[in-house]
Amino acid sequence: MDKVIVCIKGVPKPGTVKVDPETHTLKRESAELILNPMDRSALEMAMRLKDKYNCEVVVITMGPPNAVPLLREAYSLGADKMILLSDRLFAGSDTLATSRVLARAISNLKPFSLVLMGLKSIDGETAQVPPETASLLGLPSVTNVKQISVEGEKVIVVRETDYSEEEIEVDLPAVLSVTPYLDYYRPPSFKRMLEARKLDPLILSAQDLALPEELLGLKGSPTQVHSVFEKKIMERGEIWEGSPEELAKRLIDLLKEKEIFKN
Amino acid sequence: MEEIIIAYGEYNNGKLHPASLEILTPLYDIAERLGKKLVLLLLTEDFERAQSLPELKKALCHYVWIVSAPELKDYRDDLYSEVIIELSKREMPYGVFFPATFQGMSLAPRIAGALQVGLCAHVNDLKLEGDNLLMFRPTYGDNIIASLYSTTIPIMATLSLGAFVIKENPFSPQISKYEMPPEFKWQSKMKIRKSKPLIKEPSRLSVAKIVLAGGMGLKTKENLALLRELAKVLRAEVGVTRPLCHAGWAKEEEMIGVSGVSVRPKLYIGFGISGAIQHTLGMENSEFIIAVNTDKEAPLVKMAHLSLICDAGELIKSLLKQLSRESN
Ligand SMILES: Cc1cc2nc3c(=O)[nH]c(=O)nc-3n(C[C@H](O)[C@H](O)[C@H](O)COP(=O)(O)OP(=O)(O)OC[C@H]3O[C@@H](n4cnc5c(N)ncnc54)[C@H](O)[C@@H]3O)c2cc1C
Repeated sequence: MDKVIVCIKGVPKPGTVKVDPETHTLKRESAELILNPMDRSALEMAMRLKDKYNCEVVVITMGPPNAVPLLREAYSLGADKMILLSDRLFAGSDTLATSRVLARAISNLKPFSLVLMGLKSIDGETAQVPPETASLLGLPSVTNVKQISVEGEKVIVVRETDYSEEEIEVDLPAVLSVTPYLDYYRPPSFKRMLEARKLDPLILSAQDLALPEELLGLKGSPTQVHSVFEKKIMERGEIWEGSPEELAKRLIDLLKEKEIFKN
Repeated sequence: MEEIIIAYGEYNNGKLHPASLEILTPLYDIAERLGKKLVLLLLTEDFERAQSLPELKKALCHYVWIVSAPELKDYRDDLYSEVIIELSKREMPYGVFFPATFQGMSLAPRIAGALQVGLCAHVNDLKLEGDNLLMFRPTYGDNIIASLYSTTIPIMATLSLGAFVIKENPFSPQISKYEMPPEFKWQSKMKIRKSKPLIKEPSRLSVAKIVLAGGMGLKTKENLALLRELAKVLRAEVGVTRPLCHAGWAKEEEMIGVSGVSVRPKLYIGFGISGAIQHTLGMENSEFIIAVNTDKEAPLVKMAHLSLICDAGELIKSLLKQLSRESN
């Protein structure tokens, strides 16, 4: 276990998001970004590995320059290196185009043992990027991982599926997406926070990654928006107002009438 | 070429996941209209057992293909996806679709990555416009839906749980074993050491007759516990909105909406739920909708058949009190 890479994402702070009225995509440049809450788990897991195996932790994010504070946040939690993948050509990427960029950046960091990501991002909720990136790298992926330990060239993980909790032996290197529900998250170190202020991430563009334009951004994304429309709400309702006691009584009467509650 | 559409039949421990049958409903219609054949694809280590599943005889598809090998005993993401990638390269399907289950969401992106094709998530409706297959999902903005298409073949998507109603096939599909080419490597970088079944009841949310749903307007975890008590009294199932899952108050299986499950009960009561489209798409087909909210302008209040304007927690307490009096 020598190097662990963590991919994090900046998501618009709820309430600050502006939506483009034409395309109905998020105006990411104008939004205030916060660390995707689920990526906290990936960072925490990486730091636990660092505590135990003294490995190097490299944190990567793809996004506009206003994502730099998130990298510094990761640094203050214990990350050693920060990389920002930033290029206008990346804008509008779907999960495939995003995974291409991440996979290339990760591949350039070889040799590494593990890539950790949050289970999903709260702005997209697709959970696709970790397995998709793994697939492009030709690596195994395990999703919703709760525990990680290392035994020689293998990593032992515990994951929760729809049916069971499984203990799995996986060959390294591997890509893991981490459950959002950990029992503990360490606070940032004040000392590192101060240090981070003076540090800048390594910034890589499409050209630095030798990625051709036609595979990137909106152009390189095979999923395309055909149209967007507003779903009209049918207004049909009856409104009851009153004290909770009164309303509870009326509701019980209604439920009885509808034969939902019988005594 | 592109003559078949594949639906992933999630088969685990002798059972077919019902969500795999749900997704057949829209896909069969599309296959018929395009003159293609819908294939339900199962991966298993036991062909005989899988083949005799009673559900398969009524599955709404043209063919059931079963890939069987001892190596498929456990669900291993890399090997399972490799099988479907190889099969897709040979059969050149027009589309490959998955239910948004744990397996579906971990397999589909591996396959899309390897085939370098697009993959849509949270799809809760599919429509043909000419030859173009449009996939619908909510997007940013108030009550906004986007229709998407894929510029690559096979078209791929994960479909929201419960978004489609299972329909039976009046005919029986043809069930056969699908042979992988002899050179296929049945190898995996994963080995399942232990598996401990989750001690949880299978979620009955999607088939519940009464759903009591809680949102941020419940304010406290205690109020959610009271809602669960109320559900017991009314023999209802409890559902929640996403922020309650994020707060760690509820499990994701209980989340109603495009990223969770869709429900269509006779009665849905939303306690302190604003009615964001990601949620309402998962409950709009309920027969009777009641909203409990302090805000008359909340979208769920507008779409409800009946709205109670009051504090959700207090209403639950009053309901519990009055109902316990009645049953005594
Ligand atoms: C990609 C993506 C996918 C998503 N998927 C889902 C999904 O599948 N399911 C889902 O639910 N959400 C989903 N969401 C989140 C969704 O957009 C909303 O944020 C969420 O549904 C809001 O939950 P809520 O109604 O509980 O909270 P809020 O929107 O905060 O609403 C709380 C409501 O409670 C009312 N209230 C306040 N106090 C009281 C009181 N004392 N008594 C009664 N009422 C009160 C308020 O007036 C308000 O209407 C998704 C979001 C994204 C970006």
